[in-house]
Amino acid sequence: MPLSSPDAELTALLDRVGQRDTHALQQLYERTSSRLFGLAMRIVRQREVAEDVLQEAFLTIWRSAPDYRASLSPPLAWLGLIVRSRSLDQLRRQTADRAALTQEFDEVLADTLPADTPGPMDLADASEQAWALHQCLEQLERKQREVLSLAYLRELSHGELAEQLKLPLGTVKTWIRRGLDKLRGCMERLA
Amino acid sequence: MNLAAHPRLLALLSAAHALGTLRGGARRRFEALAREQAAVRASALLWQDRLASLTELEAPVAPDPAVWTRIRNLVDAEQQREALARQRSAPAAPAARPGGWWGSLALWRGAAVAGALATVLAVVVGAGLREQLRNAPQVQYVAVLSDDRSAASMLVTFDPKNRQLTLQRVGAYREAADRSLQLWALPPGGAPRSLGVLGPQQALHLAATPSELQAVPALAISLEPKGGVPSERGPTGPVLFHGPLIEKTL
Repeated sequence: MPLSSPDAELTALLDRVGQRDTHALQQLYERTSSRLFGLAMRIVRQREVAEDVLQEAFLTIWRSAPDYRASLSPPLAWLGLIVRSRSLDQLRRQTADRAALTQEFDEVLADTLPADTPGPMDLADASEQAWALHQCLEQLERKQREVLSLAYLRELSHGELAEQLKLPLGTVKTWIRRGLDKLRGCMERLA
Repeated sequence: MNLAAHPRLLALLSAAHALGTLRGGARRRFEALAREQAAVRASALLWQDRLASLTELEAPVAPDPAVWTRIRNLVDAEQQREALARQRSAPAAPAARPGGWWGSLALWRGAAVAGALATVLAVVVGAGLREQLRNAPQVQYVAVLSDDRSAASMLVTFDPKNRQLTLQRVGAYREAADRSLQLWALPPGGAPRSLGVLGPQQALHLAATPSELQAVPALAISLEPKGGVPSERGPTGPVLFHGPLIEKTL
C-alpha cells in the first residue's frame, strides 16, 4: 500500500496517538470527527447525545490506540466500530430510561434517510473494503440499503425494525433477505 | 448439516449473523456450526469484516467545536493523573520537586479532581470495550482459498502473537504422494513470494511475520514437485486455490 493512502495516513496517526501524542490525537480528530459524528447521529439521532458519544469514543480511542495495530482492521472501520459501540451503549441507557424512545418512533423512514447518498468525494478516507461495500450497496434498492444499514448500525431485530420504520414485519424480512442476497452476489464477484 | 456444501446458504446465514438479524435458536445453531466447522467459521469472520465497513459510509456531520475542547481537557487530566501515579510509584527518583510547575498546589488539586473524574469516566466508559479489545482473539488475517468453482478448500489464519500461519484443509482435495502444495503471497505489482510448503496433514503451521503479510491482498496455492520450489522461481505448477487475504476486525 502506498504511504500516501488514507489508510496508511490514518494508521500512522493512530500509531502516534498510541505513543501518547496529543497533537496526533487532534489531527486524527480533525480528520475523522465529522465522519464519526455523522455515524453517531445516525445511530442515536440526537445531537447532544451524539456529542457525548463522540467524546467518549475519542477517550476510548486515546486509551486503546496502542491496541489498534493488533486489530489490523482498516483504521476508519476500527474507529467506526468504537463509535458504534459507544452509540449503542447510549441507546441502551435511553431504553432503560424509556424517555426518548416513544418520541423517536414518530420519525419514520424518511428521517433515517440521509439527504444525499455519500458521493465519491465523501468517502475520501474510507478503506478499500468500504469502497467495495459501497459499490455493492449502490446496486440495492434504496429501501433495502437503508434497512440493512439501520439493522447493523442500531443492532435491530426484524421486529424492532418493523416497529421503528412502521412497516409490516413481512416486508422488513423480505427487504433484508433480498438485500443480503444481492449484497452476497455482488461482494463475491468483487472478491 | 454440512453447511459448507451449500455456499449460497452459508453466505446468507453468515451475512445475517454479521448483520445481527439472525437471532435466537437459529443464531445459536449457526454459532455452534461455526465452532465445529472451519469453513463456516471462515465465512462468518469474512462477513463480520465486510459489514463492519458500514460504519465508514455515513454522511459526515460537523460536531460542535466545544466537543474537541472537552476531549482535550479530559485527555490532559488523564495525562496529569498518569504523571502523578508515575511520580508516586517512583519515590526514589529525585523528580523536579521544588517549586515551579510541579510544585503548584492548585495544579495538583485540579489534577486530582480532574483525575478522579476521568477515573470514573474510564470505569464507566472504558471497561467494557477495552476488555473486548484486549481479549479479542489474536487472529488477524483470514483467507479462504477456493478453487475455480468457488468451493472453499483451505482456511488460512494468522496469529501475530505467535507469528504463525495456520492452514486448515476444508475441502476434499489431496495432492498425489509425489507432489506438494506451496503457499504464495501475491503482493500487488510484485512477484509471488513463497510462504512455505504444506505437508500432507489436515492442519499445519508455518512461521510467518506480520511484515510478510502486510499489504498482501491475496494468497494462492500451487501444485509443485515434492518439497516445493525456491521462492525466487515463483510457482511452476498450476494454481489450485486462491483467495483474498482479509484483515480481521475487532
